[in-house]
Amino acid sequence: MRAIERKRYSTLHLGRELRLLPGYLVLIAWVLFTAALLFWVLAASLSTTAEIFSGEVLKFPTGFHFENYVKAWVSSNVSVFFGNSLFYACVSCALLILISAPYAYALERFTFPGRRWIRSSLAAAMGVPIVMVIIPIYTVVARAGLLKHPSSNRIILILLFVAAKIPYTTTFLGTYFSNIPKSYEEAAAIDGCHPIETFWRIVFPLARGGISTVTIFNFIAIWNEYFLSLLFVNSDALRPVALGLFSMINGMKYSGEWAGLFASVIIVFLPTFILYLFLSKKIIGGISGGIKG
Amino acid sequence: MKRNRAMLLAFTLPGTILFLGMFVYPLIRTVFMSFFSIMEITDPVSRWHFNGLGNYRSLFSASLFRQSIWNLLKIWTLGGLITLTISLLLAVILSSGIRGKSFFQAAIYLPNVISAVAMATMWIQYVFNPSYGFLTHFFRAVGLKQLAELQWLDGEHKFWALLLSYCFGMIGHHMLIWISGIERIGREYYEAACIDGAGRREQFFHITLPLLRGILKTNIVMWSISIAGFFVWSQLFSPLTPDTSTVVPMVYLYVKLFGAESVDAISRDAGSGAAIGIILSLFVLFVFQLTNRLLKDDDLEY
Repeated sequence: MRAIERKRYSTLHLGRELRLLPGYLVLIAWVLFTAALLFWVLAASLSTTAEIFSGEVLKFPTGFHFENYVKAWVSSNVSVFFGNSLFYACVSCALLILISAPYAYALERFTFPGRRWIRSSLAAAMGVPIVMVIIPIYTVVARAGLLKHPSSNRIILILLFVAAKIPYTTTFLGTYFSNIPKSYEEAAAIDGCHPIETFWRIVFPLARGGISTVTIFNFIAIWNEYFLSLLFVNSDALRPVALGLFSMINGMKYSGEWAGLFASVIIVFLPTFILYLFLSKKIIGGISGGIKG
Repeated sequence: MKRNRAMLLAFTLPGTILFLGMFVYPLIRTVFMSFFSIMEITDPVSRWHFNGLGNYRSLFSASLFRQSIWNLLKIWTLGGLITLTISLLLAVILSSGIRGKSFFQAAIYLPNVISAVAMATMWIQYVFNPSYGFLTHFFRAVGLKQLAELQWLDGEHKFWALLLSYCFGMIGHHMLIWISGIERIGREYYEAACIDGAGRREQFFHITLPLLRGILKTNIVMWSISIAGFFVWSQLFSPLTPDTSTVVPMVYLYVKLFGAESVDAISRDAGSGAAIGIILSLFVLFVFQLTNRLLKDDDLEY
């Protein structure tokens, strides 16, 4: 089917293409605007603040100023925010899979009391605004003094990121496990394989497509996370990128380092952008695949 | 398959505990808190004072809160209309057999993977900038002098700037949802329509649109969930003080919980904060029920 369609496209039907012309124009204009936005910010990050304000961003009269990046990375602490976000995102993504994959599998394959309730509550939790749950959590965490020490503060942040994403990750993986035929597990059971081993060695690898997709989504979400960190981060040294960038913007009035700000924007933007360049097919497929009509 | 009690516990316990701790317990406690007046968010229960519906009443008598709800409703309806129509339009274009579909799709979805703080900064510092900004240059180039001189970020236009830039990012996401719906419609409907002599426009209004009711529901619910959590964009457009043109309930809540140097008018009260959480959740629930009632799609099989 696909091959036939492709063949039909490759022969140029002038009339057909002409009919599609308005569509092309809309799409091209849209993409050009996005590109202009990104290119301008990239160019600004390589200019000086004075050049930005005199409107000479795309002319580079004094060459490329890569030192903006060095300054942003070192003296504006972007390296710290970057490291924090990377740490939070990686640890949370790993924990999410370790917890949610077996959870989703158990909810999919075993019958036990409360299973239906858990499944529907997990689905419902995806629609609960985070403000609905955040106040009591803050009370408990702050009263226990867990935000006073950097290490416990970090652990709390990761736990929050993980817990907040459990409903989504588990529900997403559940549909993946339900599509894996039971015959693999039955064969393993006949061979005397312990069910836990069966899961990790046979079923888990079979679900790797879903696991990697959900991990990409979790990574992007946690890398860009803002609200939870705003509430729960208690010291500058623990800030993730979104929060660090926000504090830089607020400080702009005093520092006036606009070129440095744009360099920081690019640094924050790059990791997810690069991820997206390589994995956009998977990401887009993950969204379309998860939609129930 | 043999049921294995220890395995079942090991597989379900960590997830269930985190879920109960993050969602179930706080949800119930938030409901209770919303009926008490609580000075500090860390106050123990013994210092809570029962206030009945007082928190709700005082919220709705505060003009800044009413403004925040009004702004949210404006973003929900106007932004929803803009986002859902434009994303549907793009989805229809992309499904019409265009070349480079996956490239366009990926490029339009791109803003969704970028940090909202970075995205909003690009818009505020570049697109809307009155001296070197994109819009100024663009409108000057096409000869629309009045539009070129528009101050996008002043009090009068800030809301529209916020709405426009927020929708731009969201359109890509909703477009993908529409596309997944359009692609599920069987080709035979269009072939039959073609034989009956229906043109493209008729095909869209009589086949595509009615069959997309279920997807419309998904889109409205997803849009409402994002709007209930609307926060970062508002904070970036008015970073230091909540501003009447861009304030939303979450920003108001943040000030209610932690205070803001410049807003003395809002007294700190965690109970009212909880009430705001309830109001936003009820809003999502209401939209969900309403769309379920209005857009019944079980009579359609395809």
